[in-house]
Amino acid sequence: MALLSISEPGQSKPPAHAVRKRAVGIDLGTTNSLVAVANEGHAHTLCDHAGHCLVPSVVHFAQDGAVIVGDAARNRGTNDAANTISSVKRLMGRGIADIDYDLPYEIVPDPRGGMPLVRTIAGDKSPVEISAQILRELVSRAETELGGPIDGAVITVPAYFDEAQRQATKDAARLAGINVLRLLGEPTAAAVAYGLDRKKEETVIIYDLGGGTFDVSLMRLEQGVFKVLATGGDAALGGDDIDRLVGQWILEQAGIEEPLSYSRRNALAAVARDAKHTLTEAGNAEITFEHWSGTLGRQEFDGIVDAIIDRTIKACRRVLRDARMTVGEISDVVMVGGSTRTPRVRERVAEFFGSPVHTEIDPDKVVAIGAALQADVLAGNKYGDEILLLDVIPLSLGIETMGGLMEKIIPRNTTIPVARAQQFTTYKDGQTAMSLHVMQGERELVADCRSLARFELKGIPPMVAGAAVIEVMFQVDADGLMEVQAKELSTGISSSVVIKPSYGLAEKDIERMITDSFAAAASDKAARALQESRVEAQRIIEALESALAADGRQLLDESEYAALTDGMEKLARLIDSDDADAIHAAAEALNEASLVFAGRRMDSQIKTALTGHKIQEYD
Amino acid sequence: MINSVINYFDLFEMPRTFQVDAAELESRYKQLQAAWHPDRFTGADDSKRLQALQKTSLVNDAYVTLKSPLKRAAHLLALQGVDAEEHNQAHFGADFLHRQMILREQLEALGEQEDMAGLDAMKAEVSSATNAALVEFESLYGQGQFSEAKQRYNRLQFLYKLLDEIDAVEENLLDY
Repeated sequence: MALLSISEPGQSKPPAHAVRKRAVGIDLGTTNSLVAVANEGHAHTLCDHAGHCLVPSVVHFAQDGAVIVGDAARNRGTNDAANTISSVKRLMGRGIADIDYDLPYEIVPDPRGGMPLVRTIAGDKSPVEISAQILRELVSRAETELGGPIDGAVITVPAYFDEAQRQATKDAARLAGINVLRLLGEPTAAAVAYGLDRKKEETVIIYDLGGGTFDVSLMRLEQGVFKVLATGGDAALGGDDIDRLVGQWILEQAGIEEPLSYSRRNALAAVARDAKHTLTEAGNAEITFEHWSGTLGRQEFDGIVDAIIDRTIKACRRVLRDARMTVGEISDVVMVGGSTRTPRVRERVAEFFGSPVHTEIDPDKVVAIGAALQADVLAGNKYGDEILLLDVIPLSLGIETMGGLMEKIIPRNTTIPVARAQQFTTYKDGQTAMSLHVMQGERELVADCRSLARFELKGIPPMVAGAAVIEVMFQVDADGLMEVQAKELSTGISSSVVIKPSYGLAEKDIERMITDSFAAAASDKAARALQESRVEAQRIIEALESALAADGRQLLDESEYAALTDGMEKLARLIDSDDADAIHAAAEALNEASLVFAGRRMDSQIKTALTGHKIQEYD
Repeated sequence: MINSVINYFDLFEMPRTFQVDAAELESRYKQLQAAWHPDRFTGADDSKRLQALQKTSLVNDAYVTLKSPLKRAAHLLALQGVDAEEHNQAHFGADFLHRQMILREQLEALGEQEDMAGLDAMKAEVSSATNAALVEFESLYGQGQFSEAKQRYNRLQFLYKLLDEIDAVEENLLDY
């Protein structure tokens, strides 16, 4: 682009080092997602041209088949909520019966079982496919920045994510064509970001209060080994609850009766959120909602927030108890998640643990930064002081036994990878098959635990009851993903079967989705072309605006100047349309029209240089 | 059991004794993890990665076993070919079973009365009985009296379970 090349000479980036692997860290969040990259032990998050680093975890399916992700998708949500999918992370690895809350979009059961599907104008989409769209967006941002395809990624998952949720996350990554170096616990990533792993001996609390979830983890770090000792939290507690309580306070003050319509509720939430943000710095927030205006003071706000904080502190107590530790043994407290910006949260947490809390790294970015640092290590870019991150399984794994009871085979908080075997026997003479039901959870009754998979072991040689010995082996890998194998041991003829849980996708589902995504690639490509032409158009307008402001009046006559501003306005109007070709054509035309201006600016700068003047003197 | 027992003491290159040096156990564990964790093999071929997975799974299991006195005791018995899980009531001794029944009734009562001090006292009593049984196990095992050692192990199973139950009652009372 002619104008840009004048205003920003010689700023092209040096090519990336050839042997260095392009490895990124991805924080695939419920509300926002981020991608970060590390180099020489320093990591930074990757932002778009507007400086936005957070990609809203929102996917919009447009009528023309385009798939839009991030800020643009979120903006569509106001007008087309049914086709704008947010918080898809809450659907990952979950059954339709688990979704006992309202969603602004429709979900339907998958006839093949497993996760529910989201009904969109573009067809029924699985949570895995939707998450893959978010991952693709992050990867494409990284590829643009790093100048080529990425070799691998560390993707973070909440510490409490069970096997089904982890499997779903890994499936999404696979669908997005990502080589997953490791699924890493979010708290572990946060601790890595703060370099706590380099300390000799630490016991750390990671307090993560996000938009809609609260997680607390207790970790032990000893000479390069990182271990999660216990985790807890509340999957439905976060900043949104603070907004809701502030909203209720507003309704009480204003004397407005519930229920509110969807759009009024949204407007109230936005007003409440603004007040919360104001109170991060200020002592008072002025609030106007519909006909009512008033002031929310810090003290009153703190009282509202305390109700939320009390619940988080209770979870902290529980985690300490699970790990059989006391507050006095905690050496560091790391704050993660946007809601930890609220001063009252920091104050109360510091008070509870009796030590100052870490807030030096942006709490929205800290997880992605830690993931990037670990990705750099796992990709082999960094040698030497490698840290080993050991994870635990958050929930017990077991098997259904007679009477609908769950027999735990691997208890929760067991360090992974782990393999455990359990032996069962037949209860009828001549029994040749045995049905196994794999569960995850802490409760005694099967009905209270999550069903991961059912499978049948066939071909057991007929014997008297109790003579056959069936060994069931659970293998959980470093990512927390499970495989179950069953063998009949007594005869030496072992019949074995390897299963993956039904909440994860079957191999053929993944194949189908990859095929589908090739078919959808055409429409994705169109959506991308539109997005790119918009970005390009915006860039031309911004460059031309600043050039015109600098010396347009000196170098152009009235009609030349008007022609360029007309072209700019025309292009600005087109940017919001969905017609990529029209935007592209108008951008080209404007660029063409500005060439004369560009030429004169060049001449003028050369003259300036020759006569020893500085450009600024003409400003 | 059909499976042959893998000797975890050998895996950790530590002496096969009931007393285990906790610091040494930790440091061996870290060395083995550092050498074998799958994160060290992200770029390796499938068979190397499978080997790493299996090896670290074994190391993790060994660590948990050697760390817990109860599991360590069972492992020591297994290494002598004694199946620690196979037992009958007569084997415990009538006195022991009677005492266990009384203790369980007592625990239930303390829970109902929300008697925290009583729970603390009971916990102290059961803990000291546990420690006594651990000492006896060590001595009997060292003398090669495996059948007697196994009886102490089975008693320990009861006692540890009771300690867990006391904790559970306490937790309920604290309303966590």
